Amino acid sequence: MLLNPLTLHSPKTVSEAAKLYKELEDVKVLAGGTFLLNSLKLLKTKGTKTSKNILSLAQVDELKGMRADAHGLTIKAMTSITEIFESPLLVDNFQIIRTVCRNISTTPIRNMASFGGNLTCRYTWTEMPVVMIALNATMYFMSPQGAVSQISAEDFFKNNARSEHLFTHVVIPRETQARLVYRRVRKMSEVDQPLLTLCVKTTLPEKQWTKTRIVINTGSAFAQRDYQLEEFLNGKDLSSTLGQEALDHLTTTIYDTRSNEYKQHMFRVCLRQAIEGICTSN
Amino acid sequence: MHIQLTINKKLYDLQLKGHETLLEVLRDQLSLTGTKSACQESECGTCTVIINGKAVLSCISLAANLDGAEIRTIEGLADGDVLHPVQKAFVEQGSVQCGFCIPGMIMSATALLEKNPTPTQTEVEYALDGNICRCAGYPKIFDAVHAAGKEMKEQQG
Repeated sequence: MLLNPLTLHSPKTVSEAAKLYKELEDVKVLAGGTFLLNSLKLLKTKGTKTSKNILSLAQVDELKGMRADAHGLTIKAMTSITEIFESPLLVDNFQIIRTVCRNISTTPIRNMASFGGNLTCRYTWTEMPVVMIALNATMYFMSPQGAVSQISAEDFFKNNARSEHLFTHVVIPRETQARLVYRRVRKMSEVDQPLLTLCVKTTLPEKQWTKTRIVINTGSAFAQRDYQLEEFLNGKDLSSTLGQEALDHLTTTIYDTRSNEYKQHMFRVCLRQAIEGICTSN
Repeated sequence: MHIQLTINKKLYDLQLKGHETLLEVLRDQLSLTGTKSACQESECGTCTVIINGKAVLSCISLAANLDGAEIRTIEGLADGDVLHPVQKAFVEQGSVQCGFCIPGMIMSATALLEKNPTPTQTEVEYALDGNICRCAGYPKIFDAVHAAGKEMKEQQG
């Protein structure tokens, strides 16, 4: 027996799921299951008590799929990473999401893992947070009473990714002129966790960095922006030396948080390459 | 929980406990032991099966969560004594060493080739990136996938 006994709840609608999420004691949400089930198994092998109620979202069709219109892209919580990767809707600034999906774990994991699970599971090292913050995504939740609330992805992670409500979808604004670069350094160990992820987004009207977002995820704390570096870059002309110059303007405390020297160095390399990439490819 | 699963085209009515994984149900209740159990934590790919057309890991799938799903395991590929093109190619290319990873490899390859019988080498490596072969017999495994794809395409006409 790989798991401790549990009761599986399988609601059919979002409102039913949101109610159960509030009502059930000691409950965990099962989306794709790629984090949760391994976690439950690990706790069992350690002799630790595990959640007795599992709330599966597998039968909630309202939480599956993507749609796009002139304003933006909607990705629902239970859309799998593979479905997102293969979606023809990933154009304009949304193309960067394909790069993110392509680099998540392995094919069977991508087939199972959900967008919502990656974004909201409260593991600090997951891949989607940096790109959702960079793309200025808005996250939507449903309360047990059926009320819909929203919060920017940036604020959600400032709030330590906590919510008592059920995550349903994101809406990402469309930007036809945005330039984006995503970097993920893979940490090969028993589990494929990224050592770091970062996303750089800017627009280049008049060939100057504008509305720049630099979002980093150290894997130790939740994803966050480097405002000091953004301020330095905004207004700068495209230059092949800008990547190197930018390294003197990092908010070093963000990168130093529980990062060793090697990891800090990798951040510097990745940021320099990302900034140079935007400057030289234009 | 009472659920229905279609496994290798056969309908099963099952009474399951919430915590039972698909891997446990296949091997311990239905005696479909072709699906192998190794790491049991989604790293090795030996437990790969095809659910609704996609390669997934049975060790991290709760069976009771799959009501109505169509599942294929390695036992469901051959048609009587006639091997599936992917199985045949693995034999003909000498792709099997110790053999433990092979059911998972074949299921991942089948899921790929049914969607795209002419994959590039990069696409083959991407599709099989969740399957580990500790004999390191990857080159012949990749050869078999390409050969099987060729045959499947010819069969499709």
